[in-house]
Amino acid sequence: MNEERRRILEMLSTGKITTEEADRLLAALGSQQMGGSAAATSESAVKAAPKYLRVMVEDHREGTGKGPTQVNVRVPMQLLRAGVRLAGLIPQSALNQANEAMHEKGVLLDLGQIKPENLEELVNELRDLTVDVDDNGTKVKVYCE
Amino acid sequence: MIPLMLVVGIRPYNRRGFRLWIPLFLVWLLLLPLVLVLLPLAFLVLLLIRVNPFRAFLTGWQILAGMKGTHIEVQDGKAWVLVRIF
Repeated sequence: MNEERRRILEMLSTGKITTEEADRLLAALGSQQMGGSAAATSESAVKAAPKYLRVMVEDHREGTGKGPTQVNVRVPMQLLRAGVRLAGLIPQSALNQANEAMHEKGVLLDLGQIKPENLEELVNELRDLTVDVDDNGTKVKVYCE
Repeated sequence: MIPLMLVVGIRPYNRRGFRLWIPLFLVWLLLLPLVLVLLPLAFLVLLLIRVNPFRAFLTGWQILAGMKGTHIEVQDGKAWVLVRIF
């Protein structure tokens, strides 16, 4: 955290400025910091569009004593997009059955709501996302590259 | 662009494995006559089940093209398996 940001947050915590003012100041600070390299940033943003979804799993728990179980999967985003389009072709009755089956398993997701345009949003958001799970010798990492 | 090459590798623990390079472009060439024969039939079936055949074929093509770049690698104490499409 840089000095200006810290000062704004201190002013907010002491009540010298309101949350709206702090928000505006932080936004201005962010744009100021980014302004110098705006061209480079926009260029890198275009370049950084993720092409693949990477899932890595490492399981040290149960083993044959010959090493851990490792899974390394790279799925192209294009395949995910095509998969979503395929979901759009599935008849409504089949979608309902799939939704019910998922609800029974505790997955509250409506497949009918997944549209290609939503996927683009999701892919854009995934750019900066890394899911990192470490639990009792099992490591799972999901990220875009 | 659809995938042109498939690599399948298997290596059992403590033994010599193998890596198979399968030229998919030859497989597509071999399958092409069959696809052309089955295409009208698939078209009719899709119409019967009220699915837009053009959309379905386009999606099928996109899935095929989207497979390019897939990499699956699994290893446990018994074996190592690799599947790569490019």
